Amino acid sequence: MRTRPRLYVSYSSEMALLPTWTQKIAALAFLAFLVIVPFGVIPGLGFLSDNDWLKLLSRVAIFAIGALGLHILSGLAGQVSLGQAFFVGIGAYTAAVLGGEVGKSTWGLGLPIWIWLPAAGIVAALVGALIAPTAVRVRGIYLAIVTLGLVFFGEWIFRSTPFITGGAQAGREFPSLQFRFWKEEVPFLDFTTDGSWFGISVTSEAKTYLLLLIFVIMAVIITKNIQRTRTGRAFMAIRDRDIAAEVMGVAEAKNKLIAFALSSGFAGLTGAILGAFVGRLVPEGFSLFMSIQFVAILLIGGIGTVSGALLGSAFVILLPRIVQDFTGFLASVAESGSGFFSWFAGIFVSTGIDDPGIVSTLPGTSPGLNIGQFNLFLYGLLLIGFLIFEPLGLYGIWIRVRNYWKSWPFTY
Amino acid sequence: MTTTLERVGEPDLSDAYRTVSWMVRDRSHSTPDAVSMRNKDFGIWQERTWSDLWEEIVITSHGLLALGVERGDVVSIHSEDRPEWVIVDLAAVAIRAMSTGLYPTNPMAEVQYLVNDSGARVHIAEDQEQVDKMLDAGPDAFPNIKTIIYLEPRGLRSYDDDRLMFWDDFMELGRAHRKEHPGTVAATMAEAQADDIVTLVYTSGTTGPPKGAMLSNENATFAIDNIILAVGRTADDKMPGPHDMVLTYLPLGHVAERIMSTWTMCASGVVLNFAESIETVQINLQEIQPTLFFAVPRIWEKIHATVLIKLNDASRFKRLINGFSYKLAAYIGRSRVKNDGRYTVGSRLAYWIGNPLMFRALKERVGLRRCRWAGTSAAPIAPEVIEFFMGFGVPMVELYGMTENAAVATLNFHDRNKVGTVGEPYPGIGLRLDEETGEIQTKHDGNFIGYWNKPEETAETFTDDGWLKTGDVGVWVDGTHLKIIDRIKHIIITSGGKNISPSEIENSLKTSPFIKEAMVIGDGRKYLTALVAIEYDVVGNWALSKRIPYTTYRDLSEKPEVIELVQGIVTETNGKFATVEQIKKFRMIPKELDHEDGELTATQKIKRKTMERTYHDAIAEMYGT
Repeated sequence: MRTRPRLYVSYSSEMALLPTWTQKIAALAFLAFLVIVPFGVIPGLGFLSDNDWLKLLSRVAIFAIGALGLHILSGLAGQVSLGQAFFVGIGAYTAAVLGGEVGKSTWGLGLPIWIWLPAAGIVAALVGALIAPTAVRVRGIYLAIVTLGLVFFGEWIFRSTPFITGGAQAGREFPSLQFRFWKEEVPFLDFTTDGSWFGISVTSEAKTYLLLLIFVIMAVIITKNIQRTRTGRAFMAIRDRDIAAEVMGVAEAKNKLIAFALSSGFAGLTGAILGAFVGRLVPEGFSLFMSIQFVAILLIGGIGTVSGALLGSAFVILLPRIVQDFTGFLASVAESGSGFFSWFAGIFVSTGIDDPGIVSTLPGTSPGLNIGQFNLFLYGLLLIGFLIFEPLGLYGIWIRVRNYWKSWPFTY
Repeated sequence: MTTTLERVGEPDLSDAYRTVSWMVRDRSHSTPDAVSMRNKDFGIWQERTWSDLWEEIVITSHGLLALGVERGDVVSIHSEDRPEWVIVDLAAVAIRAMSTGLYPTNPMAEVQYLVNDSGARVHIAEDQEQVDKMLDAGPDAFPNIKTIIYLEPRGLRSYDDDRLMFWDDFMELGRAHRKEHPGTVAATMAEAQADDIVTLVYTSGTTGPPKGAMLSNENATFAIDNIILAVGRTADDKMPGPHDMVLTYLPLGHVAERIMSTWTMCASGVVLNFAESIETVQINLQEIQPTLFFAVPRIWEKIHATVLIKLNDASRFKRLINGFSYKLAAYIGRSRVKNDGRYTVGSRLAYWIGNPLMFRALKERVGLRRCRWAGTSAAPIAPEVIEFFMGFGVPMVELYGMTENAAVATLNFHDRNKVGTVGEPYPGIGLRLDEETGEIQTKHDGNFIGYWNKPEETAETFTDDGWLKTGDVGVWVDGTHLKIIDRIKHIIITSGGKNISPSEIENSLKTSPFIKEAMVIGDGRKYLTALVAIEYDVVGNWALSKRIPYTTYRDLSEKPEVIELVQGIVTETNGKFATVEQIKKFRMIPKELDHEDGELTATQKIKRKTMERTYHDAIAEMYGT
């Protein structure tokens, strides 16, 4: 009820995605913010409309879709998986074969996006469902190892099928984000060229960003809705205690299989979109590192929540860029400035051969880690830190802030 | 479900007495789709509209008729508060029978006494526990009972007893009966008279066995007109109506909850929300945020203690804000008490600062944010507790009445609220103090008909000129407001000849969150002593924070540190009283008092006689005999 937010008179009101008006308005405002980002009209955040930042944000969107998939499997159904990269690869190559052009040594059917994109999801989901019966027999660390095996298995297959993947080190072209009815020359919707919409000129990066934003929103709505169906509740019951769930009549094997299929489907879509977005991928890209990235997204963002998956994607993808910019900024401070801050910056960055520091701006000539290494180092540090101090991730921090005010004037 | 009433051929009801059931029927016609009740089931507050409710009442009435319940017969209800309670209650009124409610905590022996004393023909037992209390008494224990209807089938499927009937089957019976005899219920309603008895309310029986007070249609109407529809009762001077929310959680068999829930719903159309159980009241309060809230002092003391403890346990920054806001609230409370409940410019200003800062959030947490009338009655309360709630802007008042006068005696009107008194007599009613004893006596249409089958006791309750003797001693304050001293039989006369009211001292002790019960002793003795029971979880937490190990309630009660803590509270309380009224010694009660052990009545009042017997040794020790 409107004046009594905790009085639920029906299940539908209790399960509403945005139960209160405050939440509805906040969600709408955030959405509006995301939509106007590429137009550079937000004071103070104008830099986000730069092409390189838009590309980063698009990458966030792509990874968010994959992370939502893993969220269904790990966050909702409680099944650890290191195999996400494998399914991303399946999706990517399904899209490549169906939508890509015939290359010198690679297959390609050149079909339009409305075939290759859904197909990428479906094929990956089917492969997931195929593997699930094996995977549902094991739990915890064993499941992690089984899915880890998938990644190596996949990498080997991708490398030894050059007619599909273009082969190791070389890679292949992927279909592009162009909407055609069939194989006609001029697409009716093209996200790869600059153009103008409703009289406003938009770059291809802005277009792509907006398209991917729509994809993410759809993925979020689908995930949120899965969460509040019978299947979603079955997932959570299995996560909380599989034996108890089965005793209550939740079909464990069946629901685990559904979770695997859904999760793999999301991963497949991610792969297809990633391929189309980047344009060229090598089979080595679908490696353990990518899988770990997805796990890191969930752990840092906050496992078990959609908001966590989104926050984590943004954090993990944007972190390297922020570190890079920050290091550059520190380097300039260290060289020119004085005072405590520049002294700190001097310790942090190394700008010459004789200058010791943690991060080197001149890799190879000065001591210290290069930025890539430093990012990896930071990753590890953050993962350990979050697991120990904030198991619910960034979302957990938000929960704590929110509860602080929610419980006012008490503490519990 | 919409109205499927057989309106055709319905007799003319314009001359009939307007009973409480009649009022529900009216609402089912005027606002059939408005919500009348909510009860929480599987996590959701399921709603009943007025037409749903009336439909169920009619079917239940037919069901009772089919079971042979006739005019003047009794239906006994042994259940927690739930919609069926109210439905059976009103269905009984519709067919000119009467209901009587038992407390869920009543042990077997009391159930046997109450059911047999009332002569009930049909008994409603909520679940297996209550059914067992009937069946375990033996096959011949209840000569009058023909049918026992149970509401919760869990655990009862294998029971084999001809008297048992499941609620759903009972409703089927009612539907079949209605098909065969359509219009019977309406016809019976048309014959209702002012002196039809609608309910037997059993008094708690602090002395002797409980007596069933007979309340008539006229008594109910009088209570509705005076209490529920009193002008100037709520903080915004508006009558209760369909927009109001009531949380129903106190035993419905008690006259207070009957008036504040059932009859308020009938008379003004407020929505009744049934709490899941007494344990979930705090959560249900937060969900419902009732606009009209009635509680007994025990509940108010509990909320008061919870708030104090939680405020104290808050984190540093919150404590800082709380400390400041609490000072504001204390100032507002003092100022309002001084000004008969009204705000002054200063207290209004303080409220404007404190409300957004903390009061509003605090009230929301407690569930009193939307409260426009909060009442306390049924037992004495310490004025400090009322002052505390008034400080946060809760429009809290004390009122007074008893079963035998349909609870119509006095009320504090919101802008003439003298804290420490029980208020002014309702306009136009007869209320006087006996010149000799100071006993409060009433004479009005709310005075009950008498005790069921007890003409002698009935005669004793009335004076020769027909006034009802309440058994409470009172004095006038400022010539308008009534202050209760104590029950006549509780007043202590020390061997020095001083008259002392023990409840005042006991309530002062109970304002401390650490103390749950206190009983002051001293009748015919040289000085006062007390038996004190601690609040287990509060003192438990305190012991935890002080690193005092303990195992059981008894162990905790007897820790020297705890006794020292209680001594501090006693000493502080003594400071508020004259020397003769001070407690010289006290002993801890080593167990949690319980209804089933006979130490408390069903309404959680201490049975002094039993207590004095049980703790005879401890008392003797305090007086060195």
